[in-house]
Amino acid sequence: MSVRGPFEYIGKEVRAGFDWAGGISLLLGRALVRGVQRPWGIYDVFRQIVALGIRSLPLSTLMGVFVGMALTWQFGEALMGFGAKNAVGSAAALALVRELVPTLMALTIGAKIATGITAELGSMKVSEQIDAIASLGADPIKKLVWPRLMASTVTLPLLNVYGNVLALIGGAFIADFVFDVPAEYFYETYIDELYPMDYISGLVKSFTFGLLVGLIGCYQGFQTKFGTEAVGISTTNTVVATSVAIIVFDFVLTTIFLPVG
Amino acid sequence: MAPIIELRNVYKRFGDNIIYEDMSFGVEAGETFTIIGGSGMGKSVCLKLMIGLLPYDAGHVLYRGKEVGDMNAEELRELRRNVAMVFQGGALFDSMSVLDNVTYALREHTKMSDQDMLERARECLDMVGLGYDKDILYRMPASLSGGMRKRAALARSIAIKPEVILYDEPTTGLDPANIERIGHMIRKLQKELGVTSIVVTHDMPIAWKCSNRVAMLWQRKFPHIGTPEEMQANPAPEVHEFINGIYHEDQD
Ligand SMILES: Nc1ncnc2c1ncn2[C@@H]1O[C@H](COP(=O)(O)OP(=O)(O)OP(=O)(O)O)[C@@H](O)[C@H]1O
Ligand SMILES: [Mg+2]
Repeated sequence: MSVRGPFEYIGKEVRAGFDWAGGISLLLGRALVRGVQRPWGIYDVFRQIVALGIRSLPLSTLMGVFVGMALTWQFGEALMGFGAKNAVGSAAALALVRELVPTLMALTIGAKIATGITAELGSMKVSEQIDAIASLGADPIKKLVWPRLMASTVTLPLLNVYGNVLALIGGAFIADFVFDVPAEYFYETYIDELYPMDYISGLVKSFTFGLLVGLIGCYQGFQTKFGTEAVGISTTNTVVATSVAIIVFDFVLTTIFLPVG
Repeated sequence: MAPIIELRNVYKRFGDNIIYEDMSFGVEAGETFTIIGGSGMGKSVCLKLMIGLLPYDAGHVLYRGKEVGDMNAEELRELRRNVAMVFQGGALFDSMSVLDNVTYALREHTKMSDQDMLERARECLDMVGLGYDKDILYRMPASLSGGMRKRAALARSIAIKPEVILYDEPTTGLDPANIERIGHMIRKLQKELGVTSIVVTHDMPIAWKCSNRVAMLWQRKFPHIGTPEEMQANPAPEVHEFINGIYHEDQD
């Protein structure tokens, strides 16, 4: 192999990455332009919200409680070393609300939503159902992408709020039973520590993640080539793409919100 | 008279896979035009070019003299209201009942009442031979047999009463009686409503019986176009061999 081999390879990958990001942006633009035109398809959006939200409730419950418990335990152990275990509520609050709940929620529920969308739209693509929608004079972006994009953008922040409540409950449970910090005290210090900006920062994150997740899910579905095998490939790629996108955007949003908060 | 659909010097390729090179033909209003040709040569692609589901690289695809490639969203919508396509695999919407599938275009393009749509759906299902089953309207596509799905897809395409119907292998996988029925339906739509049909098929008896003209896809063009009689008398070896199903072992 020539010396240029690896560079060419990297160049190709970088270009593919840019093409992908370009395609994603184009889809977002189209979905927004066509979505805001009447009729808005409120019914379709609503149905997707119910489908995505309800189906994700068990996993969100599990996520919320366990993240709250694990983090409180970790902080409790650390703080006990300084004889400051009573501060466990204040310590856990910021990390959970600003960072862990939105991000972990997006990485699990978000990835689940995105792969679900990719698998559904991907199999519609390979069985020519997307072409069929167009051939019947309807707009596949309006009919398929718009409702899913709206639904995931609304659903993830809602589940984030729900996850925050459960994380608090999980944390209070550990504080009380493991560290002997009364649950009421944990609750008070927890809430005291939080300012509106902290909630806003968490919500903006989950809103952004919701948009990303819906967008990547739809784009990958539409990009699916031929055959059922292709659906598997694009679904796998969706997992990777959503995880990377969520982690990168989490960092970006954190740097934006830290000085503000 | 100008053709209702015309392809002029069309070029189409997917990467290195060249499908059409300088390909031309026209379809007259009211005729039944059959396309034959080997598997994987681009017959389905040809139908998709006609309603703008696939872009072409060069040349012209014209519907009533208007360039399909230049149409905006509203014009495309209008085109697709008038030119319906029956997909090779049916492409029924899995998430919808047969009724919702069949009435999809009606909901999209008209303000018909639910009752009228129901009647129209029954009528169309009757035409494709699915009328005997009273529950069919409320069944999901996954619970239908392959042949039933194919016919339900046909019903979906004719529901809006298009002026042109593109059939992609409408009879493949059907039993002889239903093949007859589809052939009969194509002729009936032509006679009673003046529908123009473009039929991709491997079923030569249907092609001879229904078509005004038959075109054969060969080497990225349609070099042989003619009435069924002309095609049957065509001396070109590729035509003769194709329509009579002659197979040479040394071709492999
Ligand atoms: N969207 C697409 N992207 C890339 N290649 C495509 C696409 N659609 C079709 N092709 C390729 O174009 C060629 C022609 O395909 P087409 O489906 O038109 O064949 P066909 O003549 O209809 O065959 P069959 O009789 O088996 O249905 C094939 O090689 C196929 O792989
Ligand atoms: Mg085909």
